[in-house]
Amino acid sequence: MSWETVIGLEIHVQLDTKSKIFSGASTTYGAEQNTNTSPVDLGYPGVLPVLNKDAVMMAIKFGLAVDAEISRRSIFARKNYFYPDLPKGYQISQYELPIVHTGSLEIRLNDGSKKVVGITRAHLEEDAGKSIHDKFANETAIDLNRAGTPLLEIVSEPDIRSAEEASAYMQKIHQLVRYLKISDGNMQEGSFRCDANVSVRPSGQNELGTRTEVKNINSFRFVENAINYEVERQIDRLEDGDEVAQETRLYDPERDETRPMRSKEEANDYRYFPDPDLLPLEIDDETIEEIRKSLPELFDAKVKRYTEVLKIKENDAEEIARNMQVAEYFEAILENFNHDAQLISNWILSEVIAVLNRESIEINAFQIEPSRLASLLSRIHDNTISSTIAKDLFNQMLSSDETADEMIEKQGLEQITDEDSISQFVTEVLDEFSEQKDQYLAGKEQVLGFLVGQVMKRSKGKANPKLVNELIIRQIKR
Amino acid sequence: MKRHTVKELQGMIADHSASSQEIYKLYNNRIRAMNDSINAFISIESDEYSSGNKQADSEISGVPYAVKDIFCSEGDQTTCGSKMLSNFVSPYDATVVKNLREKGTVILGKTNMDEFAMGSSNETSFFGNVNNPWDLERTPGGSSGGSAAAVAAGMAPIALGTDTGGSIRQPAALTGITGLKPTYGRCSRFGMIAFASSLDQAGILSISAEDSAIFLEHMAGYDQKDSTSSKETVPKYTDFLNNDLSGKVVGLPNEFFDGNLDSRFQELVTDSIGEYEKMGVKFKDISLPNIKYSVPTYYVVAPAECSSNLARYDGVRFGHRSTDGKDLDAFYKQTRKDGFGQEVKRRIITGTYVLSAGYYDAYYLKAQKVRQLINQDFLDAFKEVDFIMGPTTQQSAFKLGEKVDDPVSMYMNDIYTISSNLSGVPAISHPIGFVDRLPFGLQIIAPHFKEHELLNIAHKYQMATDWHLQTPEICKEID
Amino acid sequence: MSIDKSDIEYLCNLSKLNLDDEEQSVFLSQMQSILDMIEELEEVDTGDIEPMAHPLKMTQRLRVDEVTEFNDREKYQKNTDFAEDGFYKVPKVID
Repeated sequence: MSWETVIGLEIHVQLDTKSKIFSGASTTYGAEQNTNTSPVDLGYPGVLPVLNKDAVMMAIKFGLAVDAEISRRSIFARKNYFYPDLPKGYQISQYELPIVHTGSLEIRLNDGSKKVVGITRAHLEEDAGKSIHDKFANETAIDLNRAGTPLLEIVSEPDIRSAEEASAYMQKIHQLVRYLKISDGNMQEGSFRCDANVSVRPSGQNELGTRTEVKNINSFRFVENAINYEVERQIDRLEDGDEVAQETRLYDPERDETRPMRSKEEANDYRYFPDPDLLPLEIDDETIEEIRKSLPELFDAKVKRYTEVLKIKENDAEEIARNMQVAEYFEAILENFNHDAQLISNWILSEVIAVLNRESIEINAFQIEPSRLASLLSRIHDNTISSTIAKDLFNQMLSSDETADEMIEKQGLEQITDEDSISQFVTEVLDEFSEQKDQYLAGKEQVLGFLVGQVMKRSKGKANPKLVNELIIRQIKR
Repeated sequence: MKRHTVKELQGMIADHSASSQEIYKLYNNRIRAMNDSINAFISIESDEYSSGNKQADSEISGVPYAVKDIFCSEGDQTTCGSKMLSNFVSPYDATVVKNLREKGTVILGKTNMDEFAMGSSNETSFFGNVNNPWDLERTPGGSSGGSAAAVAAGMAPIALGTDTGGSIRQPAALTGITGLKPTYGRCSRFGMIAFASSLDQAGILSISAEDSAIFLEHMAGYDQKDSTSSKETVPKYTDFLNNDLSGKVVGLPNEFFDGNLDSRFQELVTDSIGEYEKMGVKFKDISLPNIKYSVPTYYVVAPAECSSNLARYDGVRFGHRSTDGKDLDAFYKQTRKDGFGQEVKRRIITGTYVLSAGYYDAYYLKAQKVRQLINQDFLDAFKEVDFIMGPTTQQSAFKLGEKVDDPVSMYMNDIYTISSNLSGVPAISHPIGFVDRLPFGLQIIAPHFKEHELLNIAHKYQMATDWHLQTPEICKEID
Repeated sequence: MSIDKSDIEYLCNLSKLNLDDEEQSVFLSQMQSILDMIEELEEVDTGDIEPMAHPLKMTQRLRVDEVTEFNDREKYQKNTDFAEDGFYKVPKVID
């Protein structure tokens, strides 16, 4: 029998506000335990939540970016359950009337095909604290710094049909929240996490199979692994004539498996009701329009502009636009050097990315500012230096703050484009390597590269390679 | 001894016939002398006078007052009448306490109350019941029973209370004093320990309506820490006290005069109406058809909110903690079993039930809709009348222990008071006489944010009568 | 609606309360009379009435996103004897 997989994702995005969603405590990551906690975050008696404006604006931004409806009126509700990292005994969330609903997002798959995934809703809620189980021998340690950090929970329709699609969707959402600057998207720090609802059904069947909810997925690779494991497990059970239990499972990346979560076994009777401490949130059209105007150019529009206006190869345009910080870097260079966008793109995608990978840094921390790289590219473009020398200067720039022009002048690196000087090197080389010269004449054209190399060596790399090529051929054939 | 009004104390401070230090000492001594028999206070401030905010130069600077132990006050034990919080020291002031502190008032102590304000007789307090100064074997009412008894007995000139279903008005009526529940949102709820968040409101228990007017102005107002507090301007309430009442129309709802009232209480109500008529007030019969559903509506909404509000008492970060639970679940259950009393547990379970899967629509949502109808009854009535009047309670103070085992009959104590909490409208209770030497109260309800009119009408009555100045015998035994 | 012992047990579990046997039977009869009283609401025709969650027709105000609270951990942890190394402690939880 063939099986069809049905997946819906719930993505939790920590919003990048300075203070918590309902209190004035800081949201800074990595603070010492329980130092970013106010009485509101600690669930103290008598204290009350007050809603953070920026969290609301960020949710609207996201909604507009996925063509969703923005609720003119939304309601905060309490989700009641006991857990030590949930100090009030309830989580403030949105239940019946979320701030964002009915949107969609187009994803692109490896084979180049495109697919639209529906977004059911996105709602605001508060994050819980952290339980640390290995700190004390007989007790669990509780750190409430994270409690009250604003979260946007983005719930997809069950439109996703494979692990690959799930990963592509998760990446697209990740890219989007970074583009919108509403989250740092840092998965190691838990700013971007995902739960997957997974079920299988015989191909052609309309009814959905029993689903499991897989929690704790914090990388694109894990979402694929977790879903693949879960799909296989469910199919195995069904093919053996067993049932799939509706349950919450935890993904364990070390063992690459999912297993049932004990603490979630209890009946999930959350007793949602409108939070009487918070009033209905009303958003007017004016606010929505203001936010709409402030939306940045998003990925698809950027790729279109890069290919159609800047004439960059489509693959390269996508590579550049994939990460907004990279795209911003690219555009900053373009402001100083607008003659050859493809050249900029080539340099970023090869040289710059190589350094970022080697040093494991983000482009924001890259040592060469856009204006300095622009100056270097300008000198390549106007033939002042060869790309070989440019690469050398690029490496020097990593540990200096000189501009290309300063380096060229100081080091006397200006490219030799004067035919007489180059001809002199060519004559010397052809004298010394007459054997290769004869080989070339006999039709072995590969030796040309060797001869060019010899000339370049003599010119200390400063000769214009194109010119060297020409002059060698001209002299041999003379 | 003589009970002083805030107005009198202001005069004494102004003409230097007594310093604020002497006044504090006087009350501190009275509390120490009387608290054993009345049990109005859970904690008493030091007998050393600490001058409060010395910079403050307000009309109430130096006036001492008592605070229901539901209000957090910085550095003080704040118990909410519960074992759960018996060791809790608040790191902050409730906004109303802070507002009054900034005006130079001085706290005398924290008053006894039903546990988490759940009760109408003060018998659910972990710190023991409060005795009514008019008859020590009777209840002063609840849940602000300690504040009511303290003011009635002259242990404090004025006290803060909270009113979720009648918790200021009912004890005020049962102890012969004046009790004001302002409009929902008039005073900040920040730092006031929540029972039922959409019903709770801070208010005042005082000898006279005039004293309430003086204090309310300094307590009330918008607070950015409470999203449900109102930005409506706070008027100078004392400016309205002597306004002429002629032409004002009072509605008498059939539902408040349902024949269940003992004829001797009915007579007191009739007499007070007569008094008001002398001032030119007109009366007409009205109907609030859905008001009879107030008690069942309340006993869905309030427990539902309380079941959630009280989930934070889990023994982890503050409050009582039982150490014999071996796993997390057992730890939670034991902590909450030991930390909460019967009434609180009963309400948590009721509230959990009405919110639980399968019952939400039938109970909680239904009650929210009926609440809307009750509110609409008030809005409709106030198109025709300026005030609504009726008895505050069905009876005067009952014997301690009389209703403890019968929650439903206890809940019926609030039958006349609950509806104004559901609607959010302000209401006041003032004394109108005695039956068998026990005081009885009249409740007046006004439209949202018309506290100045409530205080005006009650003050005019108190200018013409002296029921509010009657003092229990027990005061006469003390200097 | 009538409730039984298993309902009470279910509710106690949700609300994390222990009751001993005697409490449980007292609660059962008291709860039953409370529910009987609440059931009066059934007779009200509430058709398309909007549920009322708040007494005032106000909307949510928004707070400017700024940090106004600073580390006061020592003060807050004075309210418990069960904090160590800045952490709160609970019996071991196993996930």
